[in-house]
Amino acid sequence: MTGGVQRDDGASRPLLVADGITKQFGGITALDHVDMEVAAGEAVGVVGPNGAGKTTLFNCLFGLEDPDEGTVVFDGKRIDRLPVWKRSRLGIGRTFQRMELFEGMTVADHLLVAEQAASGTVRIWRDFVHRGGPTPSELHHVEQVLGLLGLSDLAGRPVETLDLGHARLVELGRAMMGTPRLLMLDEPSSGLDADDTGRLARILGETRRTTGVAVVLVEHDLALVESAVDRLYVLNFGKLLASGPVDEVLADPEVRKAYLGSTA
Amino acid sequence: MTQFLNYAVPGVPFGCVFALMAVGLVLTYKASGVFNLAFGAQAFVSALAYVSLDQDGWPRWASTVIAVFVIGPLVGVLLDRLLFRRIRTASPLVKLVPSLGLLVALPQLALIIAGSTPSIPPPAIVGNAQRVYFHLGSVPLSGLELSISAATVVVVGVLVVLFRFTPVGLEMRAVVESPRMTELAGVNAGRVSAFAWILSSIMAALAGVLLSPLYSQLDPQNFTVLLVWGVAGAVIGRFASLPLALVGGLALGIAQQVIAGYMPAGVIANGLRPSLPFVVLLVFLPLARQRQIDDPLSSCDPPSSASEAATAGFRSASTIAASGGAVHAVGLWHQRLEDLPGSRMTGILVRRPTATFAWAVGALAIVSALTWVPPDWLLTMNQGVAFAIIFLSLTLLTGMTGQISLCQATFAGLGGFMAGQLANHFGLPIVLGMVAGGLLAAGLGVLVAIPTLRLAGLPLALATLAFALLADNILFPNTWIGNGAGGITLPRPSAGPVSFAAAKPFFLLSLVILGVCAGVVKLVGDGTMGRYLSAVRGSELAANSVGIDVYRLRILVFALSAALAGVGGALFGSLEGSLSANDFGYQISAVLLVVVAIVGLGSIAGAVVAGIVYTTLQVAVTSLPSRFAGLVAVLFGLATLSYTRHPEGFLDFLSGRVQTAIADRRAHRLGGGPDGHGPVDGGVGKRPTASPDPVIGGPG
Repeated sequence: MTGGVQRDDGASRPLLVADGITKQFGGITALDHVDMEVAAGEAVGVVGPNGAGKTTLFNCLFGLEDPDEGTVVFDGKRIDRLPVWKRSRLGIGRTFQRMELFEGMTVADHLLVAEQAASGTVRIWRDFVHRGGPTPSELHHVEQVLGLLGLSDLAGRPVETLDLGHARLVELGRAMMGTPRLLMLDEPSSGLDADDTGRLARILGETRRTTGVAVVLVEHDLALVESAVDRLYVLNFGKLLASGPVDEVLADPEVRKAYLGSTA
Repeated sequence: MTQFLNYAVPGVPFGCVFALMAVGLVLTYKASGVFNLAFGAQAFVSALAYVSLDQDGWPRWASTVIAVFVIGPLVGVLLDRLLFRRIRTASPLVKLVPSLGLLVALPQLALIIAGSTPSIPPPAIVGNAQRVYFHLGSVPLSGLELSISAATVVVVGVLVVLFRFTPVGLEMRAVVESPRMTELAGVNAGRVSAFAWILSSIMAALAGVLLSPLYSQLDPQNFTVLLVWGVAGAVIGRFASLPLALVGGLALGIAQQVIAGYMPAGVIANGLRPSLPFVVLLVFLPLARQRQIDDPLSSCDPPSSASEAATAGFRSASTIAASGGAVHAVGLWHQRLEDLPGSRMTGILVRRPTATFAWAVGALAIVSALTWVPPDWLLTMNQGVAFAIIFLSLTLLTGMTGQISLCQATFAGLGGFMAGQLANHFGLPIVLGMVAGGLLAAGLGVLVAIPTLRLAGLPLALATLAFALLADNILFPNTWIGNGAGGITLPRPSAGPVSFAAAKPFFLLSLVILGVCAGVVKLVGDGTMGRYLSAVRGSELAANSVGIDVYRLRILVFALSAALAGVGGALFGSLEGSLSANDFGYQISAVLLVVVAIVGLGSIAGAVVAGIVYTTLQVAVTSLPSRFAGLVAVLFGLATLSYTRHPEGFLDFLSGRVQTAIADRRAHRLGGGPDGHGPVDGGVGKRPTASPDPVIGGPG
C-alpha cells in the first residue's frame, strides 16, 4: 500500500510502518489488513465515518489493543509486542478522544510527570536524596512547552478547573514531553468550538515547525485535517479505502460516497 | 472411586453452604454494585439469633423462621437502605471500607446485644444433627449433613422457579446481566435490587444457621472463613453467573475435603485446605476481570447526566459527584501545588494553620510521656507509635495509590517474627532484626504483588485477604516463624552500654523509628514517585501512555508498604516482649484499614492519630464489663457509615472545617470576597484600606 505515497526526498526510512493490521472483536472485523506509513516529520490524517476503526487502529499502533495479525515497526524496531509504556518511551506520545487527564494535578505537574516518565526511571533514590524536585533541564522543558501552548499563566491550576479547550491543550502538551518523534492525536478538536480549534491548529503547526515531530491525526473536522496534514488515510468498515495527498483523496468519488455521503 | 466418594460426600454439605454464600454474593454484587463483605457478619448474626432462641427454649421451626426469614432480611434491608444504596457508584475503596467495617462491627454488636455466646451446639434445623440416618455406599450421612443438603436443594429449587417463572425473577436476571440496560428498559432497578438484597440476605442467614451446629461455640472468625470460601465461589462464578457460583461453591466444598483426605497429615495438608481459596482467587480473578470488560455498557456506569456527557469523559465532575467527594480521599498529596503560582514545582505541602496546632499537640504529648505520665499510659502511647508505623504503610499504599490491601497485619506479623527469630537464634541486634523484618516483608510483598497487582480495586482486596488467610494457616503456625498461638519472644534493643529496655528510652527509640518511617512516606509522597502515583490515580491509561510502568510502580509501593508494616510489627513485638499469630491474624488487617480510613488516609498525621486512638480505645474498653470486649470494633465499624460521606477521613474533614472557619473570619474581618478566602485576586474592588495580614495581601 505504498503506491502513490509522497515522501520527502531526504527521508531514508519511514518512522512508523504498520503492515497488515487486523483486529476482530467477536464476529466484527474492526480492522482488515490495514497498512500505514508515516515518514519522519510528516503529518498524516486518518479519517472515516464513525465505527470505521480509526481509534482501534490507534490502539493497535500504541499497544492498548493487541492486533490479531500484522506488525508495527517504529524507527526500524518492531514494537507490536511491547507494552504501552515502552512504546511511549521510544518516542510516541498520544492524546485520547475521551480525555484522560490526571485529575487533581496541576497543569505544570502533568507536563513534569510526562517529562520525568519519558526518561524512564522510577527515581526512588533520587527522591530520597533530592526530595524529588525537577532538574533544571526538566523544568526548562516544561516551561518551554507551557510557553508554546500558551499555558504559562495556568501552570499552577488543577486541571479540573480548566475549560475543555485548555484541557485538550494540556493533553497535547503532556504527549509532547520527552521530545517524542511521533504524536498520535485522537480527535483533538472533539468538543471544541471554532476558536479553540483554530488555536489548536496553530499550535500544532508551530509544534511541527519547531520540533519536527511527525503527527498522526484522527479527526472529524475536515478543515483542521486539511490545514494540518500532508497525507490522508481513509478508513471505512475497517478497510483502507484510499490514501494519498489530502486534496487527491478528498476528491476521490468513492471517498466522498463513503465519508461525505454524496456522489457529487 | 469408593475412596474418592468417601472423601467427596462429606464435602457436599460444606459445598452447599459455600454455594449459598457464593450465590448470595453474586446476586447482591450484580444487583446493587456492592461486593458485600458484611455477608459473613450477616450469616453470623442469624446463626447467633438461632442459637440464642434455641437456648431460650423456642421450638426449632420458630427459631429457624425468625433467624432466617425475619432477622436475615431485616439486617439486609437495613444495610441496603442505610448504606449500600448510596454507594453503588462510588470508588472501590469507598465501597469496600463500609462493608469491611460492618464485617467487623456487626458480629461484635450482636454479641453485645446477646450478652453471651451459648456454648452448647444447637440442633440442626431438621432431624438430629449427630444421628446417622443412612449410608451412601459406605459413607454415613448424619442429620446435619442431610439437613444442609436438603435445605440447599430447596433453596436452589425456589431460585430456579423464581428466576424462570416469575416477573420479578425475569427482572432480576436482567439486572444481574446489566443494571444499566434494565433501567433503560423502564424497570425500577432500585426495587429489584432491594428484592435481591432480601433474597441474598436470606441465603446468608440460612448458611449461618445451617452451619451453626458444627461449632461448639459461635465465633465470628469461623464466619469470616465461610465468607472467604463464598468469595472464592463467587469468583469462580466470575462475579456474574449465579449457576457458576453455585457450582463453584459446591466444587470448593468437595475439593477441600478431598484434598484433606488424600494428603498426608501434617502442616502442609492442614494448611493446604484453608489456602485453597487463595489459589482459586489467583487463578480465577483475572478471568472475572475479563468478563466485566465484556459488558458492553460497563464503561457507562453510572448513567451519565447530560452535562457530564457534554464534557466527553472529562471525568472529574462525574467522579466527584458520584462518590460524594471520594476523589479527595487522598487529601494532602493532591494539594501540593494548587496554591503555588506559575511553574515553581517544589514538593512543599500546603502550610496549614492546623499543622502548627498538630505539632504543638505532638510535642506536648511527647514531653508529657517523658515526665509525668504513668507507666501503663506510656505503654499504651508506645503501642500507638508502633501501630502508627503499620498505619503509615496503609497511608502509603491505600492513601497514595488507592490500592486496597487486606494483608498488612500479616506483613506486620511476618516482620515481627523475622526480627524475633533472628534475635533469638542468631543473636542479631533487634533493631537490625527490625530492618531485616521489614526487608523480609518487602520481599514477600513483591511475591504477593506479582500475581495480584495486575488486579485492582476489589479483586486485589480479595486476593490479599486470601493471602492473609493462607499466611495464617501455613506460615504463622510454623515453629520457625510464628510458633502458632504460643508465639515467640522478642528482646528489647540495646546498643553497647546504652540500653533501651526501660520504658522511656524505648519510647524515644520508637519515636525515632516512627520519624524515619514517616520521612520515607513523606519523601515518596512529595517526590517523583508521588507524582507518578498521583498520575496513576488520575488515569492509569494516560499514566501508561506517558511512559510510566504502572505495574512495576505498584509492586514497588506495595513492597515498600509491606516493609513499613514489617518494621511496625517488629517494633510492637519488641515493645510487648512477645508476639503470637493472634496479634496479627488476618481479621486484624480489616480492622486496621477501617480505622485508618476513618481517621484519614491522606496524611502522616492521620496514621499517627489512628495509632494512638486505636490503642487507647482498646485499653479503655478493658475497664468495661467483658461483654463489651468488642466495643472498639463496633465503634469503628459503625463509623464507616459516615465514611461514605467523608472519605477524606475525620482528620482532614476537621482541619478543613477549621481552615474554612479561619478563612471566613479573616475574610469577614477584611471585608473580603464572598468566596471565604479573602481578597486573593488583586483586582477585587473591595480592597481593605490597610491589610493587617501581609500573607494574603494581593499584588498591587
